[in-house]
Amino acid sequence: MAFLEKSNWVVIIVGVPTLLGYLAVIVPQALGQAIADISWVQPMIAAIVAFVVANVLGNVVAAATNPQEADKNDERDREIDRVGERVGNWLIAAGAIAALVLAMARADHFWIANAIFLGGIAGALLSSATKVAAYHGPFQRW
Amino acid sequence: MVKPTRVTNSIRSMRFANGEMTQAELADRVGVTRQTIIAIEQGKYSPTLEMAFRIARVFHVPLDGIFQYSDEQEASE
Repeated sequence: MAFLEKSNWVVIIVGVPTLLGYLAVIVPQALGQAIADISWVQPMIAAIVAFVVANVLGNVVAAATNPQEADKNDERDREIDRVGERVGNWLIAAGAIAALVLAMARADHFWIANAIFLGGIAGALLSSATKVAAYHGPFQRW
Repeated sequence: MVKPTRVTNSIRSMRFANGEMTQAELADRVGVTRQTIIAIEQGKYSPTLEMAFRIARVFHVPLDGIFQYSDEQEASE
């Protein structure tokens, strides 16, 4: 398995539980109390830090399992990366646009921050899933 | 992205005809990862023209000695 494929698996393996963990903390609160009373800042910061740190550690482990391959990539890797980023960026942009609309509508900070956060993490997951799929299936540029 | 390629190749047979060259050895000589050679051999990836020339050069054959372009679908398009 190419190092960049492993790296994208790390994003999926780390990102899914991070997202589910965050939602498991926030959704019950959102269902049981007013939006303004939800304690979302600390869980969001914890989720972002955990996502970044676990990604770094996962990449270190992936590189350590096959050091010779860790710094290798070629045109196929770069093309797959470009396509995956383009797909993922749609969700990130959707989150940003949603945040913009929410800000214009003077929505609570909770909704604005969560639109950006969820768009970002969902975009990262979709991007990595697209890349992993491209590594396994046919990937043609022509 | 997932449209099957009509470019076929004979890299696998050329490797065996050239001293049973491994995929890793070919990858090193072409300057790509072994996974890319595997993907090309399996028809999952069409290399760029430049990479195709580098592969052909390893085996000392012209480009169409390695890569072929099927025209089976052209009649239906």
